[in-house]
Order: sequence, then C-alpha cells, then structure tokens
Amino acid sequence: MNTLGNRGFRKALVLPMSIGKGFRNIFISIARFFSSLFHQIAAGDLWVKSSLLLCGMGYFGRRQYGKGILATLLQLAALCLFPVFFLPYLRKFDTLGDVERQTIFNPETLKNEVNAFDDSFQILLFGVVGILFLFACLILYVKNISWVSALQKKAEEGKHINSLREDFSSLFHEKFHITLLSLPVICVVVFSVVPLLVMILAGFTNFDRFHFPPARLFTWVGLDNFHALFESSLTATFGYSFRKILLWTLIWAFLATFTNYYGGILLALFINHRQTRFKKFWRTAFVIPIAVPQFVSLLLVRNFFANTGIVNTLFSQWGVTDFFRNLGLISSGAAYIPFLTDPNWAKAMIILINMWVGIPYMMLLSTGVLMNIPGDLLESAQIDGANAFQRFRKITMPYIRFVTGPYLVSSLIGNINNFNIIYLLTNDIYVTSDQLLANSNAREVDLLVTWLYRLTQDFNNYKMASVLGMAIFLICAGFTLLTFSRMNQGNKEETFQ
Amino acid sequence: MKKLLVLLAAVVLIGVLITSAVTDEKIQLLVWVGDDADQEWIEGVIDGFQQADPDHQFQIRVGIVPEPDAKIAILQDPTASADVFTFAHDQILELYGAGALQEIVMNSEAVINANGGKNAGAIQAAMMNDRLYAYPATADNGYFMFYNKEYFSEEDILTLDRMLEIAAQNGKYFSYDLDAAWYLYSFFAGAGLQLEMQADQSNLCNWNAADTEITGVQVAQAILDIAAHPGFINQSDAEFIAGIKDGSVIAGVNGAWNARAAQEAWGENYAAAKLPLFTVAGQQRQMASFAGYKLVGVNAYSANVGHAMRFAEYMTNYESQMKRFELRGQGPSNMQAASSPAVMADPAIAALTAQDAYAQAQNVGPNYWAPADTFGAIMAAGNPEGTDLQALLDQMVAGITAPVQ
Amino acid sequence: MKKKAHHARWLSLSFRHGLLLLLSALWLLPVIWLLLCSFGIDKGPNIRSFFPEGYTLRHYQDLLGRQDSVSQFPRWFLNSLIIAVFNCVISSVFVLSTAYCMSCMRFPLRKPLMHIAIILNLFPGFLAMIAVYSVMKRLGLTDGNTGLIIIYSATSGLSYLVAKGFFDTIPRSLRESATIEGATEAIIFQKIILPLSRPIIVYTVISAFLAPWTDFIFANIMLPSKISAQKTVALGLYSMVSRVNINEYFARFCAGGVLVSIPISILFVIMQKFYVEGITGGAVKG
Repeated sequence: MNTLGNRGFRKALVLPMSIGKGFRNIFISIARFFSSLFHQIAAGDLWVKSSLLLCGMGYFGRRQYGKGILATLLQLAALCLFPVFFLPYLRKFDTLGDVERQTIFNPETLKNEVNAFDDSFQILLFGVVGILFLFACLILYVKNISWVSALQKKAEEGKHINSLREDFSSLFHEKFHITLLSLPVICVVVFSVVPLLVMILAGFTNFDRFHFPPARLFTWVGLDNFHALFESSLTATFGYSFRKILLWTLIWAFLATFTNYYGGILLALFINHRQTRFKKFWRTAFVIPIAVPQFVSLLLVRNFFANTGIVNTLFSQWGVTDFFRNLGLISSGAAYIPFLTDPNWAKAMIILINMWVGIPYMMLLSTGVLMNIPGDLLESAQIDGANAFQRFRKITMPYIRFVTGPYLVSSLIGNINNFNIIYLLTNDIYVTSDQLLANSNAREVDLLVTWLYRLTQDFNNYKMASVLGMAIFLICAGFTLLTFSRMNQGNKEETFQ
Repeated sequence: MKKLLVLLAAVVLIGVLITSAVTDEKIQLLVWVGDDADQEWIEGVIDGFQQADPDHQFQIRVGIVPEPDAKIAILQDPTASADVFTFAHDQILELYGAGALQEIVMNSEAVINANGGKNAGAIQAAMMNDRLYAYPATADNGYFMFYNKEYFSEEDILTLDRMLEIAAQNGKYFSYDLDAAWYLYSFFAGAGLQLEMQADQSNLCNWNAADTEITGVQVAQAILDIAAHPGFINQSDAEFIAGIKDGSVIAGVNGAWNARAAQEAWGENYAAAKLPLFTVAGQQRQMASFAGYKLVGVNAYSANVGHAMRFAEYMTNYESQMKRFELRGQGPSNMQAASSPAVMADPAIAALTAQDAYAQAQNVGPNYWAPADTFGAIMAAGNPEGTDLQALLDQMVAGITAPVQ
Repeated sequence: MKKKAHHARWLSLSFRHGLLLLLSALWLLPVIWLLLCSFGIDKGPNIRSFFPEGYTLRHYQDLLGRQDSVSQFPRWFLNSLIIAVFNCVISSVFVLSTAYCMSCMRFPLRKPLMHIAIILNLFPGFLAMIAVYSVMKRLGLTDGNTGLIIIYSATSGLSYLVAKGFFDTIPRSLRESATIEGATEAIIFQKIILPLSRPIIVYTVISAFLAPWTDFIFANIMLPSKISAQKTVALGLYSMVSRVNINEYFARFCAGGVLVSIPISILFVIMQKFYVEGITGGAVKG
C-alpha cells in the first residue's frame, strides 16, 4: 500500500531543492538575528533586562501574570531538570562510559548486586536527548527576549496587549497550527528524530555484539565503519557485499517498478476494452489476491514453491522438472526445482511473485486514471482521423504517464526499501552460496534494507547497520532530487490542465 | 475538533489505565521452552516447584521460543527477556559474550556431579572458562541416522553408498541437510581433518589442507558425489519430516527431536542407528558428528536471579528429565536418568550412544557457521559454477579462521 | 463477407476472455490453495496433491476453540483490534491535522517542517527500531498494546502528503469567504474542509486501521517477553510457520489467514476505491 500521494508528492519534490538555497541564507539571517537581539536588549527597559535572569519578568511588567508564571515555571523546571537528568549522561558523552558492569550474587537475598556501571547506549541516547533539550531551551530563552521586547514596544506605543483569554482563543484561529501540530511534532521528535540521530551516531561507534551494553561498553571509533564499507579483504568483506547488494537492489528496484507499472497498465487496458465482458468480475478476480495481507499470502506462496512443496511435486509428476533439467536450468542431480534456494531462480521468482503482488495495484490505479481521460480529447483525435493505436500512443499513454508519474517515482523508492517480499520469501530458507557474502552476513537475494534488518536483528551489528542506513538514505535522496529535476525540464503539465 | 481532542484525551487516559496493571507480591518468573509440545511437561514442573517450596508464592509465565532462535530473542534485549530459557548449546558462546548468562553459583557442584562430572560432554558444553553457566537439560541434541526397516537390512545401513543405492532403486531418498554447517562437519571430521576453537574464539581449521592423509579436495569431491547421487536429497528439518510423512524419504540424518514424528510415520519399521561409513579417496570412513545438548540458562539480568536458578535446577533435575523423556522422548543428560532401563531401551537414544564414540563436543568459534553453511549450499547445488574445489575450500577456511573482532 | 467479420470478432472475443481466464486463474491459484489447506485434513503443508484427500472444519475449531501455548488466535485478534481502533483514531487526527496545517495555513515554520518530514521519510524505518524500543522501555510501555499503539500512531504525522494533496485541491475562495464572515481557522477546518474531504478521510481512516494487522516486525520487537497471549494476529500467525511449528500448525495458519483476510479485504477494497478517487480526481481538478 503506497501512501505517497500524487499531488502531494509532486509538491514535495520541490522542497529539497530549496534546501540548498536555504543554507546560503542561514548565515545571513543568523547574523541579522543576533544584531537585532543585542539591539532589543540594549533598548529594553528594566522588565526586559530582568527577563534575562528570570524569563517571566517581561510579562509581569505588562500585567500578563498568567504568561509570566508559566514562563518562570518552565525556566525553573528546565534549570532543575538539566543538571539532574541530562548532565550525568552528557559528562560521559565523549567516551560513552568507562565502568563495565560487574555483578556479585548475594546468597542471602538471592539477588545480584550490581556496581554503578555505565551503559553506553543509555549515555548515547540521553546524551542526544540532552543536547536537543539544551538547544530547545536556548532557542526558547532567546526567543523569549524578543517576545518581551515586542511587548515593551506595544506598551510604549499604547497598543492593545492580549489577555490570557485572548491568547488562548488565538490558538483556535491565527495560531491554530500550534494546536494542531504540537502533539504530532513532539511525537515525531521523540519517536523518529531522536532514535534516528542515535542510530546515525551509532555508525561512528563500535556498537556490535562484542560491545553490547549493558554488559559491555562501546565507544567512538571515528570513520572506521565507513572505511569498512568500501574496503574488502578475504575475511572482512563488507565492501564486496555492499557493491554486490547495491547492484541487485538497483536492478530489483527498476525491474520491480517497471514490470508492475506496464503490466498493470496493460491489464487495465485489456480489462477496460469495450469488447471485454464482465469487467467488474475480472477486476475483482485480480484484486482478491492482494487483499489478503502480505504476511499471509507471501508465507503461503513460499510454501507453495518450497523445495519439497506442492509445485515441485506437481512439476515432477508432469515432467516439467525433467524438462528443465534437460534444458540445463537445474543441475543434473537435483530432485526438485530450487525456486527459492538457488540465487538465480530465487531472484527470478522474487520478481515474478512481486508482479503477482503489484500488478493488480497498478491495474486499479490506472483503471481510475483511464476513466478520467477527458473524452473530448479522444473524440477530437478520432475526428482528425487517428486510429486506435495512434490514439493510445499519443493521448492515452502520455496522459497515464502524466498522472501516475509521481507514483512511479515513489514506488521506485518504495521498491528500494521493499522489505516484505524479500524477507517473507527468503528468510530462514535461503542460504547464500557466495563465501564472501557469507562472511559479512549478506545473501545474494538481500536488498540493502533486508541486509540492514538482519544485521541488527540476527547479528546485533548495529554499527554497520547504521552505515547501511545512511547509504540507503543517500540513494533515496539522490533519486528524489534526480526525478525532480527531470520533471521540471519536461514540463508537459499544461497539456492536460 | 474539540470532539477529537476529547477523544484523544480519553485514548491517552485509557492507555495509561491499561499499563498501570495491578502488581502483587508474588515472585515473577518468565520461562521460555522450545515448543508447544513442552507445555504439558513444563506445567508439571511448575506445579512441582511450587509445591516443593510453599514458603514462596510464585507466578511463573511460559513463553514459546524455539531453541535455535533463543539467542536472537534473548540478545534483542537481555534485560527484558525470559528469566529462565532453554537453548541449544552452540549458542552459549554468544550468550556468554553478551553477558546474558548468569554464572551458576548455587549448588553448582551437585549439578556437575549429577550430569557426570566435570569431563562429561554435557557439563563441558555448559561451561565457559571453567565455570558453569547453564544447566544441562538433554543430551540428545546431536544427530544420528533414521531409517525405514522395510527397505534396509542391518547390513545395508553400514555404508552410505549402499543406502543411497537402495534409495535410488526404489525411487526414494536418503535425506541430509547439507547446507547446514552443523551436519557438514560429519564429512570433514570423519576424514580426519581438524576444526577447533582457540582461546580468542577464532577457529583453527585445516579443511583445505593438501598435505593430509585425505586432502580437503578429496572430501569435497566425496560430498559432491554424494550430493549428485539420485538417491540423495538435501533437506531442511521440516522438509525431512514432510518427506517421511509422504513416503518419499526412507532414511536420513536428523536429531532426536524428530524421533517421535518418524516413529509415528513409519510405525513398526522405524529404526535408528549410528551414522554410516562414507567413501572418500577410495577409503571407507566413519562419519563423525557434533554431540549436542539442550541447556537451560538463567538470565543474568533477572530481577529474581536466585529463584530463577532454583527453578532452572528443578527444571533439569532427575525427575523433570525423566518426565520429559516419557512425554517427549528426549534423552536425559542426568546420569541417573540416562542409565535407567526405559531410557536405555529407546532406539533413538541407543543410536546416539552408538554414535557417541564418533561425536565431538562442539568446540567451535562463531565464525564457523556462515562460511560452512555456504560451502554446503554450493556442494548441494553440485558446484554449478564449476569453481576449483581447492579455491572453494580456501575461501571457506579463510572465513572460518577469520579473527573475531 | 459479413460472416467472416463475425467470425474474426468471435475469435478475438474468445481469445481475449480465454487469456483473462488464464491470468486470473494464475492470480487466484495461491488463494484457492489457502482455502484448500485450511479445510484439508493435513496439519502440515499438504505436498502430495493440490486437492486434499479429505475436508474438515477441525482447524477452524482448533483455532477458535482450543488454545495452547503457540496458538491463541482469539486473544491475538482482540489485541490487534484494540490496537487498530486506537491507532485509527490517533493516526487519523494526526494526519488530517498535519495535512490541514501544511495545506491551508501559512506560518514561519511550515517549510522547514516539510523539509524535515521529507528527510525523515527517506531513512529506512528499521534503522531507528532499536532506539525506539529503548525509548519505549524507558517509558515502561513494552510487552503490551499501549506501546504498539504509540509506535504505530506517533510518527503518522509524517505521512500527511496524500491528504495534503487532496486539501490543496479545495478552492481557496471557500476558505477566504468563510474568513470574511468571521469564521476561525478551527471552524473552517471542522465545517468546511473536513466535510468536503470524504474520500481522503475514508482512505486515511481505513489505512490507519489496517496497518497494525499486517505488521509483524515492530510487533515482535516490542514484545521481548514473547508471551503468546500478548501477540498480535500478524505476529502470532507468523510464529505458526516457523521452522519448529510449521508441521503442526500450517493448516491453522491458513485458517487464521482466511479469517483475518475476510474483514481486511473488504476494507481494503473500499480503501482502494477512495484512494484512486482521491488522487486521480485531485490531479484532474487541480
């Protein structure tokens, strides 16, 4: 189920381009900001200046008692929280701890007595949270000054100053976005930004199963893991595996995307052709298989094609296995077709099974698109004497391509990260036959993302998983930027709007 | 919008209520056993343990985590997983390395003695650096040969060549899990080649040797010949059972955990024996094997580590092991239980005992598994790319002997 | 002459429908096998023949009536339902609120927030998994439904793009005239935008409802105790086909697969309809 929408996505693509431009302006605006800040302080009255010490003062001076109390309380809370909660972690952030865990069993209490040990992962996690907290406090502190100085200006000019009630009701009007966005943004920071920062930083440490907290410590190792990703020896083969798996990931992403895209469009055209009867019936027949949740259908299909599965039984009864053996597609000694256990067979099967999963989606989508083709376009073409094939090539196809273009991009990125298909079909049953891949826990059929997952889950190799994660990010970001610039060049939007 | 906010508040409130479950003063333990068939047995053990200690109130919950997956499940977060868990002994190195195993400090002498003393295989398997880190639970986690008496005579089962021939004649299969490092060991060790873990957990391995009596290439060639035999099939555990049930497999190498299933399928004709001889470099050599044990570990992070140890000890004592044998046919590690007449009469356990002379305790470092799995997969596929066997062996050995970071 | 044309037409018709029949059979084959396995007499995968040797309802009875330490289907179903309902409410609120702000309001942090959302979406979700788990453990929310509800819904704000794309197509004049009449943003959102956005609301609600039914990765991570009764449907069914369990539980897995597929596929079909309506309709109108 792809959740990136058409129009939203198109607009979204514009954004990364402006990031570059943004960087140039950042320094200028920072300089401007500080000069105006000093100006505000210098021009501030006693209330503003005392706000430097106690944040609420500026509000008390303008009779905004509620806000004053709130600001003061927040300031006190931050001042208490930081040293008690975050400072202990931040102090050890440079080494990530140096006291290993030791326990002694106490036969009296039947419990373990533990020393005051350092947990590297907790230090990393709460170090990051602490730094973010510090930043947020600093920004609020500085912002507070400009707020109170704005109040001072208002008071001096004799303008109306909001009461607490008015401030509150503005939360449902011009500041409605604060009401709506606070909770989602806080949640994203806690459950996405912080975890991602922590795991990105883990790429610069030796966090793996030999340095696995809380029993063992891990520490910073600089760029060692990045070197490992590009270097290869006979035993440390991450460089070799990375190249091989990256190549397969890209081949897979393109094949999977385009087979599904054109397969789906063809199927939709075929079903929606005016000669086809029972259109609804056919559509339903193709939709039923994808309505079954993937973990059910794919686990089932994997047993369907198992080495001793039903397909192999039937194929050997029908002589298909012998036929393949004579063609040389399976080795002469094999009693079965290694659908999901031989590297080449497995790759081909994965792409075929992915078509089974993906074509109906695209069929549904392009059916919707086909129905929306402006009728007058086709009609006028017909009057001009274009035949059916020409109409398809000149009008239908460009139209579909226009409407589903962004979908194509997002499904390409989705396929780079298509975890379910590969994992459900090959986990536990596929054994690599490439010694060098095996040494870095990779397999021929792995995508970068399934490799990453197995490195973390099965091998606790978080340091390399982190490096891989960053590589995936760069690849996806690259594709996003690339397709954006392509789309801007060939701007055909006017044709249909 | 307000309605939505109210709803949201309600959601959060209910969420808080759900989590703040009532806690009582019972001693909480979480126990993992290997599969559902252990359920009846473990419930009996829990009842017995509670009755034996009326002074404490226990609340013992049971989770199912297959023994081969225990390591992954524990290492995901040792501080939150089971207090007591069953695992296959080849995982002890990594569990110990991650600090997840509690050293057994209560009654360890008694446990060691009950399982046959310090030099017994089961105790060796449960020890790290000369200290006990787990309780032996079964001594049957090694492998041996199953066969169907309808097809094979006592004579036939002595050599692998003869067995493959009979299987091929009948259009049936001899099943073996060739792409599992655990089983691949049989051929190389049987040919007299070496694999051993060193102090730093890296491996010493000469499976690519060209100067030994039987060379690595000769062993690889022997495996290739076996894999290409029409009577041979490379199958995983589950496939082996399926094959027995549908009649396509008439013999195979597997472990005691599948003995009951084979017995059900073959009935009267079920039989078990030590591994056969195989042909390598024109000689007949006995296939070796890994001896295997199931161990019960105690989580070093358990909040009730003492009671967890007491429970684990109870779970692996004579009575519990006998009960487990009766219910599931699993071979005891406890000496008294192992020497009881009922256990001695079990064909699977008799076969394991016969194989014992050719079985080595599994003393290998963590880098052995992946390269050997892969080598086995190449052999099973018949070396499709026709790579030079010496090169394949060199690659595998380089992986196996790679330093442990 | 006429007859010949008729003949050719008939030929192309039957070819067309024959091909469709073949293709749809290919597509439906695994689903039919799912049904057959769930009603067949074998406990494990039947590998002898496509059709089972006998039919029984026993696997459904076992699944619903007989609980053991592996199979606890009714509990799993309940867990998934609770999680799905809560996730549905929270995620929908988050997604629609975020989309409204990004589409209809203008405020200084809008662009930076959208940039950050795009960047976050480009990272593979699994990377953060272990750290998310660690945060949840600190909050005491592992091993239970609450934790999973939070995991599924907390970052849902990031997938606001579809809904935003839809809101973008709603004419600005509607909002402007409401503002002139003195409506606040809250009222515009509630009384104007939401009632006009039925397809996208249905789509958002259903996709939020469906997500917890199909995830087994986070469900596994968030359950360090591995107690069967606390699993969700996806995780529970997944554990039934592990190497150790498959020969005993495969038929029950199929039965469970059939039982969850029925409600899910109905919702899925509805959702797809609204999805296509939402995105294609928008593209043409805009």
